[in-house]
Amino acid sequence: MKYVPHALLALSAVLFPYCVQRVFLATPIESQMGTAQKIFYFHVPLAWICMLFAVVCGIAAGVQLRRRSDRAEALALAAGEMTVLAGLGVLITGPIWGDATWGTPWTGDARQTSTALLWLVFVAYLLVRTYGPANAERLAAALAIFGAINVPIIYYAVKIWKTTHPQTGVVGSLPQDMWNTLWVCLLALLSLAIALVWIRAGQARLAIALDRAWIDAEPEPAPA
Amino acid sequence: MRLWRQTWLLARNDLRQEARQLELVMTAGFFTLVMVVLFAVAFFSLDDDAQAKAVPGMLWLGVAFVGALTLTRVFGREREANTFNALLAAPVDRLAIYLSKLVVTVLVLALCSALMVPGLGSVFPAAGIFDADPVALVSLVLLGCIGYAAVGTLFAAGLASAAGKNVLLSVILYPLTTPVLLFALVATQRLLEGHAELWSVLAQMLALDVALVGVGAWLFESVLVGAGPRANPARSPRVSS
Amino acid sequence: MLILDQPEAPSPATATSAGEASPPATQKVEGRDRETVRLKREYEAEVENKVASDYSHIVWAYGIIWALFAIYGVLLWRRSSAQQTDLDELGNQLDKRG
Repeated sequence: MKYVPHALLALSAVLFPYCVQRVFLATPIESQMGTAQKIFYFHVPLAWICMLFAVVCGIAAGVQLRRRSDRAEALALAAGEMTVLAGLGVLITGPIWGDATWGTPWTGDARQTSTALLWLVFVAYLLVRTYGPANAERLAAALAIFGAINVPIIYYAVKIWKTTHPQTGVVGSLPQDMWNTLWVCLLALLSLAIALVWIRAGQARLAIALDRAWIDAEPEPAPA
Repeated sequence: MRLWRQTWLLARNDLRQEARQLELVMTAGFFTLVMVVLFAVAFFSLDDDAQAKAVPGMLWLGVAFVGALTLTRVFGREREANTFNALLAAPVDRLAIYLSKLVVTVLVLALCSALMVPGLGSVFPAAGIFDADPVALVSLVLLGCIGYAAVGTLFAAGLASAAGKNVLLSVILYPLTTPVLLFALVATQRLLEGHAELWSVLAQMLALDVALVGVGAWLFESVLVGAGPRANPARSPRVSS
Repeated sequence: MLILDQPEAPSPATATSAGEASPPATQKVEGRDRETVRLKREYEAEVENKVASDYSHIVWAYGIIWALFAIYGVLLWRRSSAQQTDLDELGNQLDKRG
């Protein structure tokens, strides 16, 4: 169990060159968007990872509040950081792709906006944890729960707005070999993300334990 | 029921306090007018079509800003007079605290909206606010304010219970209230355009508000655990976690 | 790679009659007039530009993703060594106290 993150890191290290080979050499060029569409093979998995860890963070925060669990808190923090990281990747590669394909980095469409908002919520989560007042961990957890609830709500907002984003169906209508490449890239990125979250959660638990240990180790104050 | 009675008492207390000097209403109201003027200056040069499209955004941005101001003030007042700790120590259901603050915030926001909607309607006549169905308009504004206040009260209370660090409220509030603001925006656009499916969006907003108030109420206790006079000492800030 | 098909030379169907000693017909050359060539070069340039632009976008996109994860990895590494130092320090203190 102790070496799971290392195994996952090794897996993703092995998969990445294969991914790149598949994406650039083995997958045909998309007919409408040309070569720039290749960005999609990392953009979409990153978006999925971002949303996945947003939900994980929310659930862990809920467990943290209900059961006062340190492990849940550590997981929530790690998942929150991964959400911000993957979200940053999505928000940067998306406009790059948009600029290459349509000439407009920010289309202002609902999904792009809502991903940006979701990302902001989790950045706020990290800010509250870092700069918040003394007992802000619980407040931050409430924030994470709301953030996770926002994921489906904002996703639904796509449906009631007109959007220029490729419709949800674009992934479903991919030809088989593009789909396969997507899965491989998803596997590589997901194992990397899970490994990093695992390591980070371990560090967070260690930090909490160290805090307590230092407080306990302080010599008793001399009686007045 | 005890809960409603306590909520009513607390809310009445706050409103009475407010009625003495009208501090919050005056400042929030003035801020609303300032914003209408600022929007007028900023977007004056847009042509009619663009104005009509921009007005829903202006309305809800205005509500967002006034809301942040109101919440900061509502809880700032408590914190300055140190009454918040007293409130938390009192034998009062904490949910009643949440609901009473929610009621006060919604009232102030509703008053400000009552200023902002006609204000925007006069400054940007092309949007046709005054032609819109008043029932729909009022319910739309109320639903939006309730949703906004539901989220905001929870986090303002959480931040108020500790000393200082109020700058975080803005950081938290705007991203979190975006679902409500998004729905409200869509509803306002549909109202002004005369879209057929207005009431379905309003129904969705109602459901969203119920959900937000529910989640806010559920989390209020958890967030304030450890707050108040018997607060736990902060964790020692050694190696950052 | 862009491969321009040469316009197909018309098959020498003229040599049907076995015994006819007529000279082979000159092949009609198509697609070499100035206008077509100009158009074709324009398309080529457009494609060239698009490919180059796409390429730079791809490089930036992948590069940024890689950089983000690398920076995060470095941050984790630093925190890990800081925690290790702290842990050792705590251990020393506890040992000192006996």
